[in-house]
Amino acid sequence: MKYGLFIRGQYRQDEPDLKARFDELMEQVRVVEALGFSDLLSGMHYAGYPLQQFQLMPFLARAMAETEKLRLVTGIILLSLHKPLDIAEQMASLDVMSGGRMVFGCGLGYRDVEFQGFGTQQSERVPRLIENLEAIKRLWTEEHVNMKGSHFDLVDTTLSMRPCQKPHPPIWMGANADGAVRRAAELADTWFINPHQRMDTIERQLDVYKSALDEFGKPFPSELPLMREIFVAETRDKAKEIARPYLEEKYKVYHQWGQDKAMPEGDDNLDLDFDELTRDRFLFGSPDEVAEQIIGYEKRLGVTHMVLGMQGVGMPQSQMLESLHLFAEEVMPQVASA
Amino acid sequence: MVDMKFGYMTRSQHTHDEDMSARFEELLEQVRLLDKLGYSSFAKGNHFSSDPFYEFQQMPLICRLMGEAPNMRFIAGIVLLSLHKPLEVAEYFASMDMMSGGRMVFGCGLGYRDVEYKAFNVQKGTGVVRFEQNLEAIKRLWTEDKVTMKGDYFELDGASVSMPCVQDPYPPIWIGANADVAVDRAARMGDIWYISAHHRKDTLLRQIDFYKSCLDKYKKPFPTEWPLRREVFVADSREEAIEAVRPYLGLKYATYHAWGQSEPMPEGETLGLDFDDLLENRFIFGTADEVAEEIVDYCKLFGTNHFITSCQWPGMPHSLVMEGIHRFAEDVMPRVRQGL
Repeated sequence: MKYGLFIRGQYRQDEPDLKARFDELMEQVRVVEALGFSDLLSGMHYAGYPLQQFQLMPFLARAMAETEKLRLVTGIILLSLHKPLDIAEQMASLDVMSGGRMVFGCGLGYRDVEFQGFGTQQSERVPRLIENLEAIKRLWTEEHVNMKGSHFDLVDTTLSMRPCQKPHPPIWMGANADGAVRRAAELADTWFINPHQRMDTIERQLDVYKSALDEFGKPFPSELPLMREIFVAETRDKAKEIARPYLEEKYKVYHQWGQDKAMPEGDDNLDLDFDELTRDRFLFGSPDEVAEQIIGYEKRLGVTHMVLGMQGVGMPQSQMLESLHLFAEEVMPQVASA
Repeated sequence: MVDMKFGYMTRSQHTHDEDMSARFEELLEQVRLLDKLGYSSFAKGNHFSSDPFYEFQQMPLICRLMGEAPNMRFIAGIVLLSLHKPLEVAEYFASMDMMSGGRMVFGCGLGYRDVEYKAFNVQKGTGVVRFEQNLEAIKRLWTEDKVTMKGDYFELDGASVSMPCVQDPYPPIWIGANADVAVDRAARMGDIWYISAHHRKDTLLRQIDFYKSCLDKYKKPFPTEWPLRREVFVADSREEAIEAVRPYLGLKYATYHAWGQSEPMPEGETLGLDFDDLLENRFIFGTADEVAEEIVDYCKLFGTNHFITSCQWPGMPHSLVMEGIHRFAEDVMPRVRQGL
């Protein structure tokens, strides 16, 4: 089992010292590099009010300086917002600078303020995702690309640098709804399973994913990443007690933003009571309990990469690191020997 | 006594036969040396589809490098603002300013290449309106809590940037401009007109006077920081300098001309000139004494107090670049400071 740290880098409006918080994030990066984690991830949002947040691409580029082995995963680029030449160029530069350690996580967005800010709209997001991804793959692998899309025109366009990885960085696609899961099967190297959904939904959607893979004649991917919000303490009650206020803060915002409208039916209400929200979604527990869950994901679902969200909004660094170290010392070895 | 600052611009452009991973490691060494030797700023330009060159993208490169150079300011020189969406640019630069501890300079301009305009869906003739709307939106996003603004190619509906800039009110805005109408716009909309290395010294004289008259018109003061960028090379003699860089600089300027950079230049100027002619009035090549003397002349003539040396061209070996960084810092900087 491989592990990734998902750094949200999200803070409340009244956070007084973002520079100090940033230095703490760089410390987290160095810690997981030393612990032998496989991946470092962060997410993308624009106009993130009421949260303050570091921008994904600048953040990963800066974090790169603190790493030697960690892969840097865009988790995820909201691909429908962008121009493919821009994304292809940025990712290629990042891949060369890192010595071939980028992973291209991408997906749809869902927030109107973002679509509007980029001069597009919700109704265009699926076609744009598809054509952008096609253009990016071509730019990464061909020279003198000619391709006319609905919102771009590549005319004899050759990227300013080819990615280090051949043919290109692995493509992880985020997907909430069933149609998106099928699209991930068709267009990406793997499905990047998100932390918002309940495990029973995910199990059902894994069948959707596998059927789609069969349909498109593609094998089950060598990497299957699953992200979970996680907190480890001596007991489950202690874990919930510590993590709860920070996670509640975050999910209030996501509900405000309309993330739940993007979820599958029956699993589309993030405005739930915390206990209900926790059940089957978040991995809060003692080391034994958390290890048991992860072993289950590995054996039952074929998960190869556990991506961990460990710091809710406002959680102090010391608490996050305590959980992280407990995870490394008492969960990871149990999973390894299972 | 003028408080003279010296900056350095890298292109990190290389031909297609180069190993960019190796070139990147060399760039890291160059940046660490620049910071150590007291260069106060580091500038990187940007192009997309940079054929026939390979180059690093500006934003990821600057972010990667800011951890290596704790003292230098980082100049985005320039963001091709007509291509982008203002929300994205405002967000990126706020994050970059925060991560660097307030060391960003926001350089921007129109851009001029068809391949870039087409890839970003910018129709011919819309570059200026996009630039102006984008810049207005960015300034508003950096200074207002919630911004509502409908541009021709974007809409902001109660949008805010995800974090504030460190610098108050925001990173300095340096606008690149070649033609007079663009210089006027730089006076109106920016903090500083960021003069490119292409301008001839004699053209500059006229245009800087023009810039001053525009500033008067807009009731804005002359900027306290006044940068100038020139291509520079120091050697034991002028002839040696020229011979050392001829292959690299010649390729660069031939490419600029092929890319159409000549088109936006002021009337009477073109980059499709013989290399020797480019040397006249544009480039500063010579001994340390000669180079320092020329820089002092620029400073006295134009009031320059932030001199950005461009010293790194496609194909130039790392050892030559490092030597140039050393020589300029050790031999030229002190002579310039003495001469002022």
